[in-house]
Amino acid sequence: MNKLPGAIALFLACIVSAQAEKIELVMPNKLMARAEFHQGSREKPAVLLLHGFLQTHEFPTIFQLMESLRGAGFTVLAPTLSLNVPARRQSLACEAIHTHSIEGNSREIDAWVKWLGRKQPGGIALVGHSIGSLQLLAYLGGNPDPAVRKLIAVSIIESQSPLTQKQRSRLVADLLTRVRQGDGSPLVQPVSFCKKLHAPPATLLSYLEWTPDRVLKRIEHLNLPVTFVMGSRDDRLGRGWIEKLGQTRARLRVVEGANHFMDGEHEFDLHDLVQQELQGL
Amino acid sequence: MRLPALSLSISRIAVLYILLVVMMLGLLWGYFWYEINTTGARLLRQHETNAKLEIRDAFLAVERDLRKAGDKLADWDETRQQLAIQDYYSIWRDVRIRGASLHHEAMDDVALYSREGRILARSLAPDPLPERIPVTQAVILLLHDQNHSHMVYYRPVHADPSGTVLLGYLAMKLDLTVAMKQLRSFRYAALDSLILAIPAGAQIDVRQAADIPRVRPLPDPDMNTKQRLFKQAMTRQALVMLAALLLAVLLLRFWLVRPLRGLSTEISNLTSSQEQDAPLLQASGPLRVLELESLRTSFNAYRQRLRELHGHLEQKSRDFYDQARRDALSGAFNRRAFEEDWLRIAEDRRTPAIALLLFDCDHFKAINDTYGHHVGDSVIQATAQCLQSALRTQDRLYRLGGDEFAMLLRDNDPAQAEMVAERCLEHITKHDFYQYGMREPISISVGIAFSQGDQHSLTALQKHADLAMYSAKRPGSRKIVFYGDDMEDMEVLVSSREVNAVFRAIRDPSCIEMSYQGVQRLPRAEKEYVEALVRVRYDEDLLGPAALFPIIQSRGLDVEFDQAVINAIRHDMQSGRLPADQGVSINLSAPSVVNSKAISAMLDLIRAENGRKIVVEITETALITQMDIATSHIKQLREAGALVALDDFGSGYSSLRYLSSMPVDLVKFDISMVHMLESDDERQRLITEEIAAMVMSAGYAVVAEGIETLSLLERVTHLGFSHAQGYYFGKPER
Repeated sequence: MNKLPGAIALFLACIVSAQAEKIELVMPNKLMARAEFHQGSREKPAVLLLHGFLQTHEFPTIFQLMESLRGAGFTVLAPTLSLNVPARRQSLACEAIHTHSIEGNSREIDAWVKWLGRKQPGGIALVGHSIGSLQLLAYLGGNPDPAVRKLIAVSIIESQSPLTQKQRSRLVADLLTRVRQGDGSPLVQPVSFCKKLHAPPATLLSYLEWTPDRVLKRIEHLNLPVTFVMGSRDDRLGRGWIEKLGQTRARLRVVEGANHFMDGEHEFDLHDLVQQELQGL
Repeated sequence: MRLPALSLSISRIAVLYILLVVMMLGLLWGYFWYEINTTGARLLRQHETNAKLEIRDAFLAVERDLRKAGDKLADWDETRQQLAIQDYYSIWRDVRIRGASLHHEAMDDVALYSREGRILARSLAPDPLPERIPVTQAVILLLHDQNHSHMVYYRPVHADPSGTVLLGYLAMKLDLTVAMKQLRSFRYAALDSLILAIPAGAQIDVRQAADIPRVRPLPDPDMNTKQRLFKQAMTRQALVMLAALLLAVLLLRFWLVRPLRGLSTEISNLTSSQEQDAPLLQASGPLRVLELESLRTSFNAYRQRLRELHGHLEQKSRDFYDQARRDALSGAFNRRAFEEDWLRIAEDRRTPAIALLLFDCDHFKAINDTYGHHVGDSVIQATAQCLQSALRTQDRLYRLGGDEFAMLLRDNDPAQAEMVAERCLEHITKHDFYQYGMREPISISVGIAFSQGDQHSLTALQKHADLAMYSAKRPGSRKIVFYGDDMEDMEVLVSSREVNAVFRAIRDPSCIEMSYQGVQRLPRAEKEYVEALVRVRYDEDLLGPAALFPIIQSRGLDVEFDQAVINAIRHDMQSGRLPADQGVSINLSAPSVVNSKAISAMLDLIRAENGRKIVVEITETALITQMDIATSHIKQLREAGALVALDDFGSGYSSLRYLSSMPVDLVKFDISMVHMLESDDERQRLITEEIAAMVMSAGYAVVAEGIETLSLLERVTHLGFSHAQGYYFGKPER
């Protein structure tokens, strides 16, 4: 019975999908980026949904959540990070040359937050999935827009690496050296779910710097409410990661039985949880 | 026009038939061969058309593929990424496109161009894309360079789907041949021969270039194989047919030609050999062809029947042969058999001594006329029986005709022949001929000629026998006469010249030239009438009675000859040769006296010459057997106005017996009797004088023949003869 509101919301989202608006916005890097925008109730906070690593806003977890929120009357903006690809419409392959960075992505998020703020003045809630949550955390660690009122990090994950801490530190040092030396030759390193990510040192460095500790520290330094929605069966997380998140000041909501993508029957749990978290903003 | 019928042997017909079949098969084979080639050419043209269509379809498919691949690549995020940040362009071009499976297998080169049309980086491809492009919209160009045909897709790349934000251009270059090969397998077109009919370096929009690709059709192995297989099959078929025909020839020869030829040869041999006992048509076994076997069986059956028929006919022929050589009446051999036997003897070089005996029934014609033919036939049969009974077993009796019989006695001497002849006469004498109703005895005359075996005498043997037989028939002669050299003058009897003359005179009375001898009235010796004496002109010769009458009498031509003489005399009368007041004495033979036709002719003459004195002299009265008829006819002659004279009175032919029987007016004393009046024998002279006196006293006028001297004339005049004739008064006048 507790899934019924979500289903109704999805049904309503389908009905009003005609109101969806494709947004193209020139980013600070001069490249055009795409997003989908739904104008919802101005009585409710606007929500910016950010996709995971190398994905687009059409990734199912984000898309379904967007539709749920839209159905619930929220103004929703789901941008696709350009990742230095003009008007990127597809997921970027791991084998592609990745020239993007956490910083560049943060600038694009900022641009979208500002655009959303212009579309609907008031509070903005940021909802990220997977590394998208890390990306929003990084954005919020910088100079975020004041309209941002809350971060809901779904299946937040650090920039995973199979390297040991020591090896990772050595790699980061090497990458830092390369960056300083202006070496732009692409390297292949495992980043997140990419076993072989082709990217210049600067890109690799920007992601690999975000170790679990740095993530946990950044959470502690944020001055807005943060909620983590995690799946109890998320097999992409490091050991004890959910527990570590629970030990932060942020609110932890665990969906029992859900995996990293919160799909299947857990999709509605996610939607319900997010909407619950958005209440009162 | 009707052509002459052409007869060919069965083997030739068979060969012609086989040749005809071979020719038909050859024509059929040629026709099929032609059809195969024609169909092959038609299929080749269709193959070429299919190749064109196939290459055109492939060309359009490549264009679609290229457009699709180019569009896909242009819509790829990483492509737009390269147009934004070109740092890793070569990785994108050389690695990423292939890694993302966005390349085309036939792709020779791919490049990105800036919005200004400049290439982002020079290509290292062997056949690179141009460094600048002038295009502003999507286009696919066809070009031919470096001996390769290429299709190049130029397309703008936009940042947004609506195409408002131009990022640059994408170019994708395909090797057309490779692309087509990868696209599909070609059944008709030989892709390696693909050429583009465009100048080197020129580029043509594919929308106007669909017909530019030219390609040579692939050799159609199936078609070639089928064609080859068909031809091989036809060749095999032809060989099989030829073998079958050869077999047919052999079978035809074995089953039909050879048996037929054998039959023909056997039949020909049968025909040529004419051997009736030749074996039947043989064969090693039954003939394979039912009709031939039936023919052979039928032919053999027919031959068997023919053989039986032939045997029957042979028997018949023998019977006919025998009958043809037998006289039906007498049972003796006939003239044909005689002539054949004679010819056989004449051809036999070892001609033996041989005697020819000719028999002739005396006065047979008179017997026939008097008693009828049935009596005559009985006489002939009895005579033959008598003669046959007198012969040895191996001797043959021949009936040569009428009452004439002959015998050929081999290895006989004249004495033996005479003995046979006497035995024959004896048998005749002993036979009772009265049983047939006759009142007179039958006598036969026998002429015998003998040859010693030399060819010359053999040739003359028949003639000699004839002469001997005629001699025997003469009055007062022996009934058996051997031929002797003194008979040479009698050859006339058998001379063909005289015989021909007689027959010619009968046919044509103009051949008869009458002479007339005056008959003088005594005692003044004035010519009262003339006696018509017959002569016959034969070519240059003039034949007299001595040459004619033996033939006439021997051949029984008396009536016919007398009628011819009457006609000749009538002609002389009508022509005036005989003056109207000139009396004529005409001789009429004994057979004519009893012949109604001859009497009728004489009566016609008498009545036609009414007023002329006509005397009918009857000769050979001794031969008259039908006295009643003769008397009646004489009476008719006298009633018609003619006088009737009994000629040759006193000779063997005329005697007192006949004088008393026949009503005559005149009696002509034979020259032998007249000459007796001057005989030295007193008795002969007295008898003659007494007979003359007796005849005259009976009221007959008496004519003396043969008056040659005055003394004889005076003598007969003194005795009271009323008429006289003879050379004393002059020779007969012609």
